[in-house]
Amino acid sequence: MATISIAGGEQRSFECAPGDTLLRAGLRAGIGLSYECNAGSCGTCKVDLVSGELDDLYPEAPGIKQRDRDRGRRLACQSVPRGDCTIKSRIADSYLTPNPPRRRTARLEASRDITHDIREFAFRADGPAAFLAGQYAMLVLQGAPAPRAYSMSNTANADGLWKFMIRRMPTGKVSRTLFDLAPGSAAELDGPFGLAYLREDSPRDIVCIAGGSGIAPMASILDAAAEHEHVRHLGAWLFYGGRGPADVPAIADLLATHHLERGLEWHPVVSVPALAEGTDWSGEFGFVHELLPRKLPRPLPEYEYYFAGPPPMVEATIRLLVADNKVPQSQLHFDRFF
Amino acid sequence: MSVDTDPSTWRPLCHAIDVEIGTPVQVEVEGLPPLAVFQLEDGFYVTDDTCTHGQASLSDGFVEGDEIECPWHSGRFCIKDGKATAFPAIEPIKVYKTRVVDGRVCIEAFPAAA
Repeated sequence: MATISIAGGEQRSFECAPGDTLLRAGLRAGIGLSYECNAGSCGTCKVDLVSGELDDLYPEAPGIKQRDRDRGRRLACQSVPRGDCTIKSRIADSYLTPNPPRRRTARLEASRDITHDIREFAFRADGPAAFLAGQYAMLVLQGAPAPRAYSMSNTANADGLWKFMIRRMPTGKVSRTLFDLAPGSAAELDGPFGLAYLREDSPRDIVCIAGGSGIAPMASILDAAAEHEHVRHLGAWLFYGGRGPADVPAIADLLATHHLERGLEWHPVVSVPALAEGTDWSGEFGFVHELLPRKLPRPLPEYEYYFAGPPPMVEATIRLLVADNKVPQSQLHFDRFF
Repeated sequence: MSVDTDPSTWRPLCHAIDVEIGTPVQVEVEGLPPLAVFQLEDGFYVTDDTCTHGQASLSDGFVEGDEIECPWHSGRFCIKDGKATAFPAIEPIKVYKTRVVDGRVCIEAFPAAA
């Protein structure tokens, strides 16, 4: 066990188990270290290393530059302490969620195809699956080089069931390992993490926007909304962008519940018209963010937005909402995976 | 006395010799949010110090040409006009009319509202 002390202001410290990262150990201990992607990409978890030594799991991480390192900064999500350390960090309770992340062993129970290249994997672990709709977990598979973050596609349950939708990447070692995994195989599941969860106290109608396997957290959010005594009275929209019709999931099979009081409006869109030739596609063409001003009946600042998908989709959506339509950033909920 | 040098019109922030090229300085004055003072090749510039994206202090960031890169998420702004030039920065930062009076970097005493 290493003891990590936080310098400055309020004196606090936490214990870090061997092999655990600064970030995850801190969150486990209920310290709200700032973070977003947990994967070395976004830079949100940068800390100042005041004293001590750290091993860096991802020296070429895009979320930090050499000149940051030269100033003594490190990514908490990629830093494993070699012993006691003192750090300076941004800390806020808003980085904490009700269920502190925990490492557990999970076993693959079942899988089903969602599209031609996205499959849903159901894992079961001991204890209840306690998380907020829209959160993610880190999956550590034997033979895979590093843990990867995947959003849960189901909602919290007492049965210990954690479902993920994962896109088969031809070159992705983790997704290949997962697609080859036999039922009953064990994996380490570490979570929950993430701040792009359903805001149950928001009075605004819900807009979900997804591309690729970003559909998983949206399925979770819409199911949780439909189950919630107040939120189910809100309006809800789901926009989904794919390259061709084969990328678009069958929405009726995706959501466990359909009793959103005012109905769910479903708007799939494809960006490569050639892929729709010879198919029965009768939907829209274009990029998913382009649909928002056309399909949403009220001014865009009047909605709560949840989105997940490829970085260009996420960036285009944020630009449209914040820069062009003055939607307050506090109404946008997404995790920046790159 | 011309308006340009009238001390009641221009509000001093810091000594110009304390602001080196490439090393912005954070300044706090009453009634305004924290400010960042920059020296570029062609003179001094003053902007809001707080990034419009993630609330980090831009004076802790990195100056590259006419741009400041936020130290937190690497969003960028043009120091001269405040425009956001790299994601995840989207909204501009406020830029103040600046001039050096008696060796001190000053901004307008009554800057226009953002």
